[in-house]
Amino acid sequence: MAKTLFEKIWDSHIVVEENGRSLLYVDRHLVHEVTSPQAFDGLRLNGRTVRRADLTFATMDHNVPTSDRSLPILDQTSSTQIKALERNCKEFGITLFDIHSPNQGIVHVIGPELGITLPGTTIVCGDSHTSTHGAFGALAFGIGTSDVEHVLATQCIMMEKPKTFEINIQGKRKNPHAVTAKDIILSIIRKIGTAGGTGTVIEYRGETISELTMEQRMTICNMSIEAGARAGLIAPDEKTFQYLRGRKYVPQNYDECVNLWRENLKSDSGARFDKSFTLGAENIAPQVSWGTNPAMTTDVTGTVPFPDEYGKGNPEEEKGAEKALQYMNLKSGTAITDITIDRVFIGSCTNSRLGDLMEAAKVVKGKKVSSQVRAMVVPGSQLVKKNAEEIGLDKIFKDAGFEWRESGCSMCLGMNPDILAAGERCASTSNRNFEGRQGTGGRTHLVSPVMAAAAAINGHFVDVRELDLN
Amino acid sequence: MKGSVIKYERDNIDTDVILPGPYLKIHDYAELATHAMEGLDKDFHKRVKPGDFIVAGKNFGCGSSREHAPIALSYSGIKAVLALSFARIFYRNAVDGAFLLPIEIDESAYKDISDTDSLEVDISTNDIKNLTKNKTYKMKPFPELIGKIIEAGGLFNYKP
Repeated sequence: MAKTLFEKIWDSHIVVEENGRSLLYVDRHLVHEVTSPQAFDGLRLNGRTVRRADLTFATMDHNVPTSDRSLPILDQTSSTQIKALERNCKEFGITLFDIHSPNQGIVHVIGPELGITLPGTTIVCGDSHTSTHGAFGALAFGIGTSDVEHVLATQCIMMEKPKTFEINIQGKRKNPHAVTAKDIILSIIRKIGTAGGTGTVIEYRGETISELTMEQRMTICNMSIEAGARAGLIAPDEKTFQYLRGRKYVPQNYDECVNLWRENLKSDSGARFDKSFTLGAENIAPQVSWGTNPAMTTDVTGTVPFPDEYGKGNPEEEKGAEKALQYMNLKSGTAITDITIDRVFIGSCTNSRLGDLMEAAKVVKGKKVSSQVRAMVVPGSQLVKKNAEEIGLDKIFKDAGFEWRESGCSMCLGMNPDILAAGERCASTSNRNFEGRQGTGGRTHLVSPVMAAAAAINGHFVDVRELDLN
Repeated sequence: MKGSVIKYERDNIDTDVILPGPYLKIHDYAELATHAMEGLDKDFHKRVKPGDFIVAGKNFGCGSSREHAPIALSYSGIKAVLALSFARIFYRNAVDGAFLLPIEIDESAYKDISDTDSLEVDISTNDIKNLTKNKTYKMKPFPELIGKIIEAGGLFNYKP
């Protein structure tokens, strides 16, 4: 019977399955400092060990400061959480990329970077953006702390089998430097909604997806969770195999693995998906979110909608839009390009990789950040930072007036000192524009790295298709 | 289970408003509870009583995988969230850690239940009695795996 890529990976990892309940084997477990302390406490309390410490990798990313790493961490609660992870990794024999490691970084940036993320594997992490790893054809689930403990103890996860959802993106973007992977995924969420993918694993397919780089594919899969999906997947291809070749943790028999992956890791022709959605790439414009969830997004050429226009007859949606506009302090009918901003954040597991920074630097080079704006770049990992510095990107950003910081999750979720003040408005390359996400009372507009860079220079949103980005 | 309703007529109540990011560094569950719903309702902590239910719209608990969200609600005294639908990670966290019951209700029950109504929930019959309005609604039955984990009292007590 013809199978989807999801079904192939799922079936090959079943330990036990009955009545829709599946115990699934986990190939890689990624751990960070925020969702793991209680899980390790649980192990200790019950006298359990980590079943496969060799398949478990840890780093600290969520609460780490992005300032000078040679200085002590001032926030005591962050420091305690970081020390707890150090102690837990030591006690249970887990590889840790600590705050001083050259491999430290956002867990979803370093997994692929180190070749921990591999096609056809199952990956879990106590973080919702684990969906990122699906860009490599890995089945990757975000889980909570109880499940983290369960995986530490058993190397298995108990799940109900998700449904399959095919999203086809067809055609070519008119200007691929201005209309980015971020704009594609925001367009998808805008159309299918924040719960459009609930209970499903999305496979992204089509000409547009094939054309994307691995980093861009990660941006797409990363935000699958913002559509409510359990995971996002893209079938691996030559770009995937090339990206991973030679990385630290890939298997020694890499060529043999590639042959197996090439042959097996794709949806069979004729495989049936439970759900399907198609989007044409030609007409996608740069996207800017105006509300308090990622589906509340519009074209940069558009205006802030009226609640009834957004609700399209659904009173709940209309009410939601009203509340969002109130929180965002925006007036319906305002042109998106007339919205002025106070802060710019280029970073997060969605958009902090070398390619993202290179694209943003093209906009910034030789220009100055608007005097009204405080702008920062937070590379996704120490390796991204090093590679960027080797080609002089740090200098381009710093000369323009950007802060160039150490790697971590930073202002995506406001757990470290990088936060918005109440009322501040930020153009952010992160993934969530929820109320208070970047700081209590802070207002987030989700955009691509080029859009964020252009907003930093101009002090308001601009249509980056009008810039020379080639 | 009997308790009174705290109703939020809102879809997409995300885990960042249920338990804002800065509090993810807190390990004491009782202290976490004092910040529950702080991103949406600063008075929640003063208002909530042991045994209360939250009633909300679609996609409750969307966003981050932080288990701190159901923990904060649970340690505030919330026994169940009755919503039109749930985001999956929140749903599993609530059940796997045996923190609270995520109960799916239909549109008519959602519209009918008012803030401060007294409810009695019986998951063995899937009945929700509105004692204030003298009405009964049906909850959506739990899927098999979820029902069994709830019955066992959490993932670690569940034996397949």
